[in-house]
Amino acid sequence: MQEFTNETTEIIDLPRFEEVKLNQLQPKYFTVVAIILSLINFIILMVYLVTYYFQTELFSNTIWLLMGIAILILIGLSYPLAKIGIKKKGYAFRTHDAIYKSGLISETTTIIPFNRVQHVALHQGFFSRKLGLASVELFTAGGNSSDIKIPGLLLEDAQKIKNLVSKKINPDATDELQNVHNILE
Amino acid sequence: MDNLTDFSQPQRQSLLGVLVMFADTLQKILRAMWPILLVWLVKMDASKTAFIYLGILAFIVILAIVSYLQYYFFTFYIDEENSDFVIQKGVLNKTRITIQLHKIQQVNINQSLIQRFINVYKLEIDTAGSDKKEASISAIPHELAIVLKDRLINYASENSTFIEDKEVVEIPSSLLKISLSSLIKIGLTSNYVKSFVLFIVFISAVLENIKKIFDSAQTQEDKVTGYLEKLPILTSIAIVLGTIIGIVLVINLFQTIIKYYDFTIRKDKQSIVLSYGLLATKNTLLHPTKVQVVTTTQNFFQKKLDILTIGIRQASSNPEAKNKNDKIDVPGASSLERDEILKILFNTFPEKGKLMLPNWRKLVLESFFLLLIPIVVFIMVNVSFDLFIWNEVVMYCSIFAFFSGILLWFSYKNYKLFVSNDFIIKQNGAWDIDNTIVEPYKIQAITTKQFFWQKATNIGSVTLSTAACNIDFSTANYSEIKKMVNNWLCQVETTNKNWM
Repeated sequence: MQEFTNETTEIIDLPRFEEVKLNQLQPKYFTVVAIILSLINFIILMVYLVTYYFQTELFSNTIWLLMGIAILILIGLSYPLAKIGIKKKGYAFRTHDAIYKSGLISETTTIIPFNRVQHVALHQGFFSRKLGLASVELFTAGGNSSDIKIPGLLLEDAQKIKNLVSKKINPDATDELQNVHNILE
Repeated sequence: MDNLTDFSQPQRQSLLGVLVMFADTLQKILRAMWPILLVWLVKMDASKTAFIYLGILAFIVILAIVSYLQYYFFTFYIDEENSDFVIQKGVLNKTRITIQLHKIQQVNINQSLIQRFINVYKLEIDTAGSDKKEASISAIPHELAIVLKDRLINYASENSTFIEDKEVVEIPSSLLKISLSSLIKIGLTSNYVKSFVLFIVFISAVLENIKKIFDSAQTQEDKVTGYLEKLPILTSIAIVLGTIIGIVLVINLFQTIIKYYDFTIRKDKQSIVLSYGLLATKNTLLHPTKVQVVTTTQNFFQKKLDILTIGIRQASSNPEAKNKNDKIDVPGASSLERDEILKILFNTFPEKGKLMLPNWRKLVLESFFLLLIPIVVFIMVNVSFDLFIWNEVVMYCSIFAFFSGILLWFSYKNYKLFVSNDFIIKQNGAWDIDNTIVEPYKIQAITTKQFFWQKATNIGSVTLSTAACNIDFSTANYSEIKKMVNNWLCQVETTNKNWM
C-alpha cells in the first residue's frame, strides 16, 4: 500500500470513461435480433391461438379479445424497441480497459480493466454466422453480472478485438505464438 | 514419518478411513431411503424376521466391501513436475482430480463426530476457478494433515507476489482468542430472525406430528388455551412472547457456543489459521492476499456491549451464488480485537475516507415500493375479497407503516459510502449495520447505472464487482460517482498488486 500513491487532486486530470466516444453495433445485427424476435412472437401467438381454440371456456370473450389486442401491441412494439435498444448499445476499447454501454430504461455502463479479464470468447450464433457477424465476451472473476458481451460485430472485427484483448491479458503467450507463426512461415 | 511425508508418491488414506467411508455411505443410503425403510418396518411380516436380519447383514457386508474398495482405490499425491495435487478415486468409474497448486486458496482440516472417535481428520481443498471440483480427503491422521496442508499452502505462496514476503517481516506471528463471554454476548444478540424462523418451523413440525399421533390433540390445545384464557389478556400475550423470546435466545446461545467454542486466530508465516468448534473442530487456513471483502456487522445491543461479527469473504467461483463456504465468520470480536484482525488482513487499519451520502430520493423511492405499494395491494385485496373490517385494516396498515417506516428510515440513515485512497467502505443496514470493506485494487469490474428519469436530477448508481461479492451504492450524485469510478479504474489499471 505504501508504494502506490495516487493524489486525489489528480482526479480532474484522469481520463474520463463517460466522455469516450463509443462505437455502434453493426446495423445488420438488427436482422438477427428481428429474426429471433419473430420466432418468439410467433410462438407466443401460437400458444394464444391454440389455447383459444381448445380452451375457449377458460376466459370470457372480452378478456380473450383484450389479451389478443395486448399481445398484438406487444408484438408491434417489440421491433422498434429492439431497434432503439441496438442504437443504445455501444462499446469502446481504451489502452487499459473495455467499456460497454447498453440499456433503454436504465443506461448501464460496464468497464472491465484488461488486467482483470480472465478470458475472452468469440461466439457466432446460427443467424449471425449467415450474416458474417459475431459477438465477443469478456469474462472476469467478478461473476456473470460483470461480464461484458458485445454482440453485432463483424467477424473480422470480433477476431481483432479478441486478439487485442488476449494480447493485453497475456502479452508473453501471444508473442510466443507469433514467434511460432513466424518460424512456420 | 519420513516416508509418510513424501507426497510425490501416490498414497492411500489412513486405513481407519474405511470406517469413515462406511459411515458416510451408510448415512447417504439411509438419508435417501428412510421413507421406504420405514414403510418396510411398519409392514414387516413377523414370520419373515429371519430374512430381514439376513438382508441387513448382507447389506452391511456389501457396504463394507464397497467401502474397502473405495478406500483401496482412493490415492492422492503431489505431482512435483507439473505442480499439481492429484486425487484418484472410484471403484468402477475412475475419477482423477487435478488441482494446480497455485490455484489452491484455502485448505481446511475438519473433524466430524465419527472422525473424532477414530482420531482422523478430513482435509478439504478450496480452489478459485470457474469449474469448482470437490476435492477432499476424508480420513487422514492429524500430523500428516498438518504437513500436507503446509505443503499445499506454502507451495501456493511461493509464486505469489513479493508483497506477501514483506508482510512476514513486518508482522510477527500473532494470536487472538475469542473468550467465552464474548461468545455468550454475541449468541444473545444476533440472528434473532433466523432462530425465530427455525423455532416456528420446529414448533409447527412438532405440533403437526402430535396432531397426527393423537387424535385427542384438540383437548390438549383446549387445555392450553383454557389456561391462558383465565389470565388477563396482556399477561397471556406477555407469557407467550416471553417464552418465544427466551427459547430463541437459548437456541441462539447454544448454536453459537457449539459452533464457535474456543475460536482462535493464529497468524503463521504467510497465512491465517482459524480454529473453532465444540463438537466438531474446524480448522481453516486462509491467505490474507486472497481475502477479497471484509464485513463487520453490529446491531444496537452489540454496540452497547462493544462486540461485533467479522465476515471474511474470499474469491469464489460464483460470486452471485453467495456460497456459504467462501464466507468465514469471526464471531464476537471487541472493537480492539476488530482492529487487530483488520490489521492482520489489510496490514493497516482501514480508515474511513471521504463520506458520500445517498440522495433523499432514495428514501422516497424505497418508501414507495416497500411501504405504499404493499398497503395499496393489501387494501385492494381486502376490497375484492372482504377479509377484514375497515377498523382492522386501518390498524394493520398503521402497524405495518410504523415498523416499515422505522426500518426504512434507519436503513436510509445508515446508508453511507466512505472512499479513501486505499479503502472503500460501505455502510448499510437498518438493525444489523454492516460495514463492508474492500480495497480498490480487488475490483474486477465497475458498472454504473442510470434510469432515464434520473438524468435530470443527476442521480445514478454504481456496482463494484469483486471476486467475492458485488458492492453497490445507489441513488447518489452521478457526477461524483463517475469521478470515483475514474479514480478506481486508474488504481486498478496501474496497480502491480495481485488481486489474489
